Amino acid sequence: MKAMHRLIDTGLEQLTSLVYKMGEEAQRALELAIDSYVNSKDSTESVREISDILGAMSLEVENKAFELIAKYQPVASDLRIIKSYMKIAYDFDRYGRYALDTSYIGDRLGGLKECDAWMRDFVTEMSEKVLSMVKTSLESLRSFDAMLARAITQTENEVDKMYFNYLDKLIQEAPATGKCTISSVLVIRYLERIADHATYICESIVYLSTGEKITLR
Amino acid sequence: MRALGMTSKDANNRKGNTKSPSPGVKMQTIDVNAWFGAKQALKNINVSFKKNAVTAIIGPSGCGKSTLIRCLNRMHELVPGSKFSGQVLLDGKNTYAADVDPVMIRRRVGMVFQKPNPFPTMSIYDNVAAGLRLTGASKGKDLDKVVQTSLEQATLWDEVKDDLKKPGTSISGGQQQRLCIARAIALQPEVILMDEPCSALDPIATAKIEGLIVKLKEDYTVVIVTHNMQQAARVSDFTAFMYLGELVEFGDTESVFENPKKELTEKYITGAFG
Repeated sequence: MKAMHRLIDTGLEQLTSLVYKMGEEAQRALELAIDSYVNSKDSTESVREISDILGAMSLEVENKAFELIAKYQPVASDLRIIKSYMKIAYDFDRYGRYALDTSYIGDRLGGLKECDAWMRDFVTEMSEKVLSMVKTSLESLRSFDAMLARAITQTENEVDKMYFNYLDKLIQEAPATGKCTISSVLVIRYLERIADHATYICESIVYLSTGEKITLR
Repeated sequence: MRALGMTSKDANNRKGNTKSPSPGVKMQTIDVNAWFGAKQALKNINVSFKKNAVTAIIGPSGCGKSTLIRCLNRMHELVPGSKFSGQVLLDGKNTYAADVDPVMIRRRVGMVFQKPNPFPTMSIYDNVAAGLRLTGASKGKDLDKVVQTSLEQATLWDEVKDDLKKPGTSISGGQQQRLCIARAIALQPEVILMDEPCSALDPIATAKIEGLIVKLKEDYTVVIVTHNMQQAARVSDFTAFMYLGELVEFGDTESVFENPKKELTEKYITGAFG
């Protein structure tokens, strides 16, 4: 008995390649948007372009997935791959959307360079953590590594904690009407949501690899 | 009636063993082995079939699916040169015990075959009534009522009620298969075995039979052999995967089709066998 090439394999390969490409684009959008906000640079148009591409690719993944379901009635790992890719494509689409929101806030209210040092340090640290989570989500996707995917929980908890600590600190120290306050609160909210989507992706990877339906939050 | 090919070693299996059935279990096989001459078709099969549930048996051609269900109603022993060992419990009682009449087992455990096989010389009505007449079970029964109820349960009554005197072979293939199901139902079996009941039917007739299978489990325990993965996924509550005469995996259908535990099952159901 040996593995044979099936008709569905070509479609699954196309779907995989599309989802990997989405991951690369989403990571590029986030790195660009966060770097622009942290260093007070304008990137909205470039990020918008990538975000639009991600929206179109997400639709393409959905269409391809439905085509494979209709044609081949997939089961077992084939079914798990398709179901997980549809969810992951949505998460990548959201990465793009939060990247656009982040760059938009930076353009409208100014970047982090204009803010107090403690704010800069805080948001920079949180950004690094979130980008590391995005990287983990992409690496676990490429390797179908459920162990790596499960490991995201620790950073997710740290990011959640930082988010609430920052809000507490703002209430104590920052002037309520300051532009930096508003922009940084909005951006850390996006960062926190990006972290959530990185975690959702890792949950999908665990399901895809093992069939186990878990919550990593 | 003597089981053909029964070995002396099988004497133990001929004991009238009775054990309390597990809750909800209608039939159970214990260490079932079966041979055609020297060729072993089943190897130590241990599986339970739940009451009022549909269990699908899947696997590649020659894996022993049909042989297994033929052991469930003692049809395997009718093949010259066949052998059997092990036990098949029906409500906890060994159906291979020496004091058990195989004809009675075949009445309690009915069979529907791959190709619709109504009796060619009989009318629709007589096809349904045939089993009752042949077994003498028609005595004291309102045959008209049994025929109507059986055809209704097989969802065929509305289509043939005005043509009951027409030959059983005059209706479509899908209708003939439902007629065969009605014929099996008329004997009031407890278990209905189906050996690829839709493989000779078109998609519309197949959909009707599948709907019927799901409905039948309200009153019967159903075991279906099928080559159609999607059919197993659609109609069954439990799925057994067999390969080379062995039971590889058994579980609830959703788990087997979404997340099979064995790599061999995964390869078979995804079509990755080469």
